[in-house]
Amino acid sequence: MNKNDYMYLDHAATTPMREVAFEAYKKTEMDAYANSSGGHALSRKAKNILEESREFISSCFGAAPNEITFTSGGTEADNWIIKTPFVDQEKKSELTTTQIEHEAVLASAENVDKKGYKVNFVSCDEDGVTNIEELKQSINTNTLIASVMYANNETGVIQPIKEISQSVKDINPKTLFHSDVVQAVASNKIDFHSLGIDSAAISGHKIGGPKGIGVMFLKTGYKIPSLLHGGKQELERRAGTVNVSGVAGLAAALKEQQQNLEEETKLIEKERIIFESKIKEEFDVKIIGENVRRLCHISNIQFRDINSETLMVALDLNGMGVSRGSACASGAQKPSHVLKAMNVEDRVINNHLRFSFGWNIEIGDGNKSAEIVKNTIKEII
Amino acid sequence: MRILVAMSGGVDSSVVAGLLKSQGHDVIGVTMKLWEGPNGEMPETGCCTSADSEDARKVAAKLDIPYYVLDYTASFSENVIDNFVDMYSQGLTPNPCVECNRSVKFDHFIDQAKKLNCEKVATGHYAKIVKNSDIFELHKADYLDKDQSYVLHMLDSEKLAQIEFPLGTISKPEVRQIAATLGLKTAFKKDSQDICFVGKKDYRNFVSKRIDVSSKGLIVDKYENEVGTHGGIHAYTIGQRKGVPGGQGEAKYVTKIDVENNKIYIGSKEELTTKKFLIEDVSFVNSIEYDNLSVQTRYNSDDVPCNIEKVDESTFQIELKTPTLGVAPGQFGVIYQDTKLVGGGRITSKVLEEVYE
Repeated sequence: MNKNDYMYLDHAATTPMREVAFEAYKKTEMDAYANSSGGHALSRKAKNILEESREFISSCFGAAPNEITFTSGGTEADNWIIKTPFVDQEKKSELTTTQIEHEAVLASAENVDKKGYKVNFVSCDEDGVTNIEELKQSINTNTLIASVMYANNETGVIQPIKEISQSVKDINPKTLFHSDVVQAVASNKIDFHSLGIDSAAISGHKIGGPKGIGVMFLKTGYKIPSLLHGGKQELERRAGTVNVSGVAGLAAALKEQQQNLEEETKLIEKERIIFESKIKEEFDVKIIGENVRRLCHISNIQFRDINSETLMVALDLNGMGVSRGSACASGAQKPSHVLKAMNVEDRVINNHLRFSFGWNIEIGDGNKSAEIVKNTIKEII
Repeated sequence: MRILVAMSGGVDSSVVAGLLKSQGHDVIGVTMKLWEGPNGEMPETGCCTSADSEDARKVAAKLDIPYYVLDYTASFSENVIDNFVDMYSQGLTPNPCVECNRSVKFDHFIDQAKKLNCEKVATGHYAKIVKNSDIFELHKADYLDKDQSYVLHMLDSEKLAQIEFPLGTISKPEVRQIAATLGLKTAFKKDSQDICFVGKKDYRNFVSKRIDVSSKGLIVDKYENEVGTHGGIHAYTIGQRKGVPGGQGEAKYVTKIDVENNKIYIGSKEELTTKKFLIEDVSFVNSIEYDNLSVQTRYNSDDVPCNIEKVDESTFQIELKTPTLGVAPGQFGVIYQDTKLVGGGRITSKVLEEVYE
């Protein structure tokens, strides 16, 4: 949809595909459509694209090529890491994660919990930062996996990942430290090894890549069972014909993003600050995570006296797409588990909106967006 | 004109959205999420299921109108569910649809419509709004088989001025025909008859999960002779035959529920006949009328000619010209003058005692 017709501020949900990604996707689909595991010329062509992409993509995260496996997205990667290691474990094994994880991790953790393993859901403070002392207390010799997201998808609040991974390793060096970096990758450069991350989930469509492609990073030395069983494709770890076009699209998107990262994030931050200050001038609001480190592209705003359900509908009717939390099948949205964990009062928990900017931002978008919000609120109050 | 249309996912509201759109209005579709499971999921049976909202979404997509599912669960739970359970525990027969229209649908919905710059709201109810000089009157639908004015009796002129009932002059077969012509997938969808939050299950289980109903008591006849025991008064409503101990060949019915003494009275069908009863919290949609009145004592029941007499500001006595069966405390007495709805109120339990004596 043309940007002049509709102000899309839901990039934390998904982003439009970058032109280069679309071209790479299309070219692979047209010229190298064969199964990359086949034994003929066209398969070799696909396989070459796959492995070249793997090399490039892994290098972007300071990882070795054989440390990354392509998946259908972030959700699959999280499910794989969180659930499968528990398949053949003794009942005393434990999982530690936080209360503010993305549903892909939370629901996987609940699944582990249902199977009878102890799962610790660590709380956070009022800014949405994980309580490290509580987390430390939950780690012991039985902790198989500790999973903490790099940055929250609803608030953008960044977790002190290096400190957390170090704390975990200090107590139990064998614990696998997993981090869902899906949202963080949209506006941050991340080096897994230097942060002490043993495994991670990445999604292509959050950075202008295609939907349906993701990465599961697993540090050399760790082995986990397969999630999907079938033909031994994708480094013999994941069954199913490899989505080579998706991989090529992801590599192209990542290439453009890494080249332009500084420029892109500077503009996003500048426009977001303009947006937030205009809103603050006009209304009684609280910007979530304002005083802590957060992703530059997410602005979660609490309106003191305005129910955000009506506001979201009114914004849509006025040409702006935003989000209230995670979407559910029926379309109606529940109070966010993240805000609940942050102890946001019941009175205002339904008054939040998430505005998330993306790579296609233009100068003036902050101002323009604030105008739409201002005019819309005046209509509904 | 911009209109907010309540879309349940059924054929009626689908057609309302379609008709208004084809008349050139700026239509916005909304499904009110009224009831949900423990994890926020929509119910699987009854109405307002996730499949229903999916149908509504598809119809909205077909009509190319904006569509939203909005959360009304807090208001519904507080005003409808709590009331439903509470009334059974008092030996009354609740009408959750009236309660929902009264305190959830038309209040919150109209309020939301205004915020979204909508001049009016529209629903798929079968009822007619007639403008008589400056007053908006509520009338029965032309298609009497489906008339739903009974459950809308609390809407006054001020509210009606903001509402459209486009189906007031259309028959159900015509509605299905229009839906088919518009290519709407709901054209031949079966109508939902269940209480939306209970579905096909027994309402007694729903109630007993929410309140303590374990206290057993006696079932007696009108002479206080013990004829059996019951496991909780919530399982009985006036006029009920199921689960009632039979006499010698003659069918017995619940005639009275004495909450205070935890007693169920049963008797013959004749003992259920009512001539006079009271209605309370009476709302007059229009000014009070006294001539040529009739009353409905249940949704879609026959009109019974009656006289009314004011007891106090909000209570009226209804005297039926022909004594009738099945007047149940908790239900509503809705008064009409020909097709015009005059007013209505909740039937009190006092009445039946009088009749009983």
